Amino acid sequence: MFDRERGWNLSFAGCGFLGVYHVGVSSCLQERAPYLITEAPKIYGASAGALNAAALVCGCCLAECCSDVMDVAKEARKRNLGPLHPSFNLVKILKNGLYRNLPENAHELASGKLCISLTRVSDGENVLVSEFSSKDELIQALICSAFVPIYCGIIPPTFRGVRYVDGGISNNLPEYELKNTITISPFSGESDICPRDNSTNFHELRITNTSIQFSLGNLYRLTRALFPPEPKVLGEMCQQGYNDALRFLKDNNLLNVPSPTGDLHLTQEKSVISSQCTSPECTISSDVKKAEEKKEVEKKSLLKQEIWPLDKRIMDKLPPTLCKVLQEACKEKAGLYNQITGLLPMRVASYMALPCTLPVESAYSFAMRLVDWFPDMPDDVRWMGSVAGAVYHQTRKRLFPHRPPVGGTLKKCLSLPAPFQHASTYLSPNTYSSMDLENWVFDFSSPLNSDALNSDLHIRKLLPSFNSDDSGVELSFSGDDMDSCSSEVNF
Amino acid sequence: MAEGELAIPSSDKGLGLIGSLRAAAWSLVYVPARQLERESGWLSNWLPAWCPTSEAHLKEAEEKMLKCITSSYSKEHVLLSGGNQIWTLSFPQPLSQKTPLVLLHGFGGGVGLWALNFESLCQNRTVYAFDILGFGRSGRPQFEGDAEKAEMQFVQSIEDWRIALGLDHMILLGHNLGAFLASAYSLKYPSRVKSLILVEPWGFPERPDNAAEERPIPIWIKAVGAVLSPFNPLAGLRLAGPLGLSLVQRLRPDFKKKYASMFDDDTVTEYIYHCNAQSPSGETAFRTMTIPYGWARRPMLQRIDKMHPDIPITVIYGARSCIDGNSGSTIQSLRPNSYVKTVAIRGAGHYVFADQPEDFNQKVIEICDFVD
Repeated sequence: MFDRERGWNLSFAGCGFLGVYHVGVSSCLQERAPYLITEAPKIYGASAGALNAAALVCGCCLAECCSDVMDVAKEARKRNLGPLHPSFNLVKILKNGLYRNLPENAHELASGKLCISLTRVSDGENVLVSEFSSKDELIQALICSAFVPIYCGIIPPTFRGVRYVDGGISNNLPEYELKNTITISPFSGESDICPRDNSTNFHELRITNTSIQFSLGNLYRLTRALFPPEPKVLGEMCQQGYNDALRFLKDNNLLNVPSPTGDLHLTQEKSVISSQCTSPECTISSDVKKAEEKKEVEKKSLLKQEIWPLDKRIMDKLPPTLCKVLQEACKEKAGLYNQITGLLPMRVASYMALPCTLPVESAYSFAMRLVDWFPDMPDDVRWMGSVAGAVYHQTRKRLFPHRPPVGGTLKKCLSLPAPFQHASTYLSPNTYSSMDLENWVFDFSSPLNSDALNSDLHIRKLLPSFNSDDSGVELSFSGDDMDSCSSEVNF
Repeated sequence: MAEGELAIPSSDKGLGLIGSLRAAAWSLVYVPARQLERESGWLSNWLPAWCPTSEAHLKEAEEKMLKCITSSYSKEHVLLSGGNQIWTLSFPQPLSQKTPLVLLHGFGGGVGLWALNFESLCQNRTVYAFDILGFGRSGRPQFEGDAEKAEMQFVQSIEDWRIALGLDHMILLGHNLGAFLASAYSLKYPSRVKSLILVEPWGFPERPDNAAEERPIPIWIKAVGAVLSPFNPLAGLRLAGPLGLSLVQRLRPDFKKKYASMFDDDTVTEYIYHCNAQSPSGETAFRTMTIPYGWARRPMLQRIDKMHPDIPITVIYGARSCIDGNSGSTIQSLRPNSYVKTVAIRGAGHYVFADQPEDFNQKVIEICDFVD
């Protein structure tokens, strides 16, 4: 039923913190059917799915990725307001993690194979990106794909000078309609690899191509996508991903003999922990499985004296490195400080103190963000200026639909911000330093102050769209510009 | 609650303010405006505008669905002996002596959803498709509140329809709820069924006993489930009133994509909306036949072994569907001496016939040719 000759693609759905499910799926694919990954012409992904797809394509160590996801989740849970706390800077954490984990030639490995789903801010259209000229560019694309507006920040990041946000908003499961695409989603529904809930409900809904069955389990998952659950639950999701992938491989007869060159990192670690896990094939035949499971449980209980926070049954099948990572993540931090802060009165007190601590912490993190923002500031200010201009003109057009034509003068033209498509070519972040920041800022508020060069540029950019038949003011914003700007604002 | 709610709106005379308010709340959810129009009362003044649907709307939507079909066909309301009307499409092949194929749509659907399949299937065999009693443009009677009796009502309507058309034998093809009813019919009237094709059948496995979840589900989510469970599955659609159509478009944009080869506008979503925004008679019967969440009250797998051993069964699945594909092999093990085949169609979800119409039609034609 699965056609190996006709090729296949993998498509990972975006899902926020449930991305740990993808890690489970990927580890299963890497271990049991590595050719599915290596021989796939394209691997698609949106948001968290894109991060996972990038890790797969670049051959990153999945155990490290998993531990990173768990760390981020724990970081997000640490604060009273969870991931909404101002000091939780997801974009920065992601960026650092990606720079650390991706190899130096990541862009070479990813180009042509990894397809990242992005949503263009200007028109809300979906864009699939698959060519990357440098590691920075790849990471920027991944950041764009994971940027959930408002949740991650207000100003969308740029990729090659164009503003993009989370790919999940326009297409969460790229190329799902192709017959040979293996779709992977942590929400139970109509995907090839997805959890199967205890329900035969055939009612479902589609959120930008991702099929989500009406079930209580999915409702829970949806609430947890941006607000991560306890590490234990994440660990179970990882395991579920592994099991679901295994079931998919079995159903389609894709199971491979585990190749020794599957994952270098995994095999290296395997030799270390080989005393704990006897055989990764324990799940292949159900008869053998039970006996081996029993054996392993006994063995592990003998080997491990420490407290096991996760269900033993769960940990039996996952690759040992992943097991270890999850187990580490589930461990409650010991120590007096953690014990004290864990007490109920202390937690209540910390919530009570929130009105006092929050402004201080916010101010601090705001200052930190401001410093980080500095290199991108001119570009972002320009973008905000163009949005504000578009909003202003849109409202003015709505309020006064039939304005009498005004004599178009060059001065009036100048008072308008340039159509924002030009903005990026007009100002590339590399050629301008923060020294001429003032010029850029004032360029919008009071164009009369701008120097000769700037106004020159302005005129040159505005001229092509300038039509002598009409009034100058209305002209520099053609209908298309207005539409694109307005959609961007409504977004 | 399952038994009483349809009776409430009609008895709102002389109940006082509270009674009529309660009736109003119920009728918003369960009864469309059209039905209330006939009843006297203050409600009728403003309710008709609530759900923008009517028989005429549905008729128009269906005509749009079927306008791309080039084969000659006839459509009519077939009057059953019980007084109900069944809306029937017939694609006659007068020269063919082959057993006719009868298509039963699924829950919330109608004949229009087979639009991608009629042309191929009727090449050399007469094909009939009808709206199941209580759905689409068929009559919408009040069903019994008991699962077994409601099922019998459905089965009887299929038998009455067969008699009205004068068919001796047929190949029954059912999707989802239609597959359940086709099986129930084959159990009761085995002599009439030459072959049974179950597409994504609903209601076969039993609800597993170990309902204890492996994953902890917060209490508030369970509470939401408990609050929603007494409502009809598509009550929200009628409750949304004027927003219902855009609700379908928002939640199920996939339908538009499935039929994109035929229509580039919202024909399909409109059709589905008007099918389900009407009085929920078949829908209510469906709910009496289910237990939470989505399991059948009287699972077919408990009875399938009593099926006449000569009836071949083919189960067609979409490989991506949420419905468990293991029913096929279970049926096989329950009927060791009979023909049972499971076909999985890759790249298809629950609506196999619309997701991969070519593959689906090909398979069905093969199965039918196997019969005669």
